[in-house]
Amino acid sequence: MINNKRIRYYAGKTAILVLSIFALSVMVFAISRLTPMDPLYSYYGDRTEKMTVQEKEEAREKLGLNDSIAVQYVRWIEGALTGDLGISYKYKRPVTEVTSGRLVNTLALGGLGFVLIFALALAIGMFCARKEGRPADRIICRMGTFSSCVPEFWLALLLIFLFSVTWHIFPSSNAYSAGGGSLFDRLHHLVLPLIVVVVSHLWYYAYMIRNMLLEETRADYVILYKSLGLTDREIMRRHCLRNIMPELISVMAISVSHILGGTYIVEMVFSYPGIGTLCYESARYSDYNLLMYLCMLTGGIVILLNIAGQIISERIDPRVRAEEAGKEVRP
Amino acid sequence: MKKGISCKNIHLSYVIFLLIVAGSLLADVIASKDPSYLDAYNTFAAPGGEFILGTDSLGRDIWSGIWHGGRISIIIGFVSTAISTVIAIVYGAASGMAGDRVDTVMMRFTEIILSIPGILLIIFIQAMLGKADILSISVVIGLTSWPSIAKVVRMEVRQLRRSDYILVSRAMGGGFGHILRKHLVPSLVPSIMFMVIMNVRSAIVTESTLSFMGLGLPIETVSWGSMLSLSQNALMSGAWWVIIFPGFALIAFLMALTDIGNRYKDSAMRRESNL
Repeated sequence: MINNKRIRYYAGKTAILVLSIFALSVMVFAISRLTPMDPLYSYYGDRTEKMTVQEKEEAREKLGLNDSIAVQYVRWIEGALTGDLGISYKYKRPVTEVTSGRLVNTLALGGLGFVLIFALALAIGMFCARKEGRPADRIICRMGTFSSCVPEFWLALLLIFLFSVTWHIFPSSNAYSAGGGSLFDRLHHLVLPLIVVVVSHLWYYAYMIRNMLLEETRADYVILYKSLGLTDREIMRRHCLRNIMPELISVMAISVSHILGGTYIVEMVFSYPGIGTLCYESARYSDYNLLMYLCMLTGGIVILLNIAGQIISERIDPRVRAEEAGKEVRP
Repeated sequence: MKKGISCKNIHLSYVIFLLIVAGSLLADVIASKDPSYLDAYNTFAAPGGEFILGTDSLGRDIWSGIWHGGRISIIIGFVSTAISTVIAIVYGAASGMAGDRVDTVMMRFTEIILSIPGILLIIFIQAMLGKADILSISVVIGLTSWPSIAKVVRMEVRQLRRSDYILVSRAMGGGFGHILRKHLVPSLVPSIMFMVIMNVRSAIVTESTLSFMGLGLPIETVSWGSMLSLSQNALMSGAWWVIIFPGFALIAFLMALTDIGNRYKDSAMRRESNL
């Protein structure tokens, strides 16, 4: 049943989405123009240094860099809306073309990492919450704190040193071997990067879930179910877990940005051909158009998923649904 | 819950923290070699003997590098955190004291900044600024890492602002700056202390990651991250000490910080579990 309230709800969310992406674009553009870097570099690269003053002036005029920042921004946005975000200086191709093939690789690594992180975090969090304060919980907490203190790049180095250089079990770079590309080959290349992504984020979320569940175990309804004869495991799974779901989904939505950031670092160390390596290259070679587009792309994905997460966590909360249907919420 | 254990560990972590900070301050005394001196005759020297922890592919002494590099890394961690904490307190308090509309817009803005992963935003701004040095990298990290602290500040301020003494102070003509300094900041400190310490931690990790990638400090400026930026060569030559020792120093410091931070975290779990 679609009613007015629901339409208004989704219209509101869409407005927030559009406004957020608009604000993001203003921010990215402002950073690129307000810093001391000469924007000519983003079109001509190091050749700019060899240009005469007159050539520079002509180039500026041609590219419209003499107009006010607002005019330049509008032009950039108009281009963006028609799919033209400039040319990558390094690849000499439109930036959208450069990223298209690599986005899949990043989403595979980040997506698999995301699923594994939360599946394992739930398992560990529930286990620790049931064993609260006992040796098992304490040992896991110690190990977890340690794992969260190991920087991603260093863990990646260590794994490459052990598994690639010393024992030759897993490859140290790329997403597939030259000429190859079978599913097994791809998975084989994915193992080490995936381990780093998962290990470096796992404890943060497992600990959060553990603490959210511990909060729940202090609620009165737990005593009720216990007196009704339910086991700890049943109470935990059927009731405590269900109660933390809306909060957990919000956390998952916010985590996208963190996990994606971690994925980028891991990609750079493993030279995995994804968006992260591209960020590194574009910063290295001063490929500013590409870097701006990558910021927009990443920010856009995160904002979209955040709003999706908000919608899901609000919709699975029965109180929100009841209110929408116009019924009175009974406590 | 785990009081006995955590107390013991907090003492240990304070000791480690102070040892590393003191060692870095006294780097010239305990590590007399110049950490950036290139000793062409002693590249990849194994640990022991003249070079306590060995040398890297350029012949630089790692023992000296750890202490001198620690100085740079710790300075960057604290300077950038000071910058982000000041921004966070002013922004968060302004948002918390403002009306609902302004507050919503200001909070939306922090979410937009948070939507770009920190590391990407820092790479972006640093690339636009050009070559990095200690100051520029501290400023960039500081400018990008305040939103999460600002959110906590705002939440606290919204709870505090209804309290009578703030009202009285306002009625007596106290401006935003006055209320912020005299009333809000003192009551905020305990609740944001954990976030602030975690901010030092992540700033150090960010700096070392950037320098390791070659996007941060240049190789001549020795820090925990830039020491590791040559480790690709070390990997191939099996020189494990180039990777292991600076990494251990970094991790030991991060763990000590985390433990200290946890102490400030509000230990609300006092009630017994019903399970």
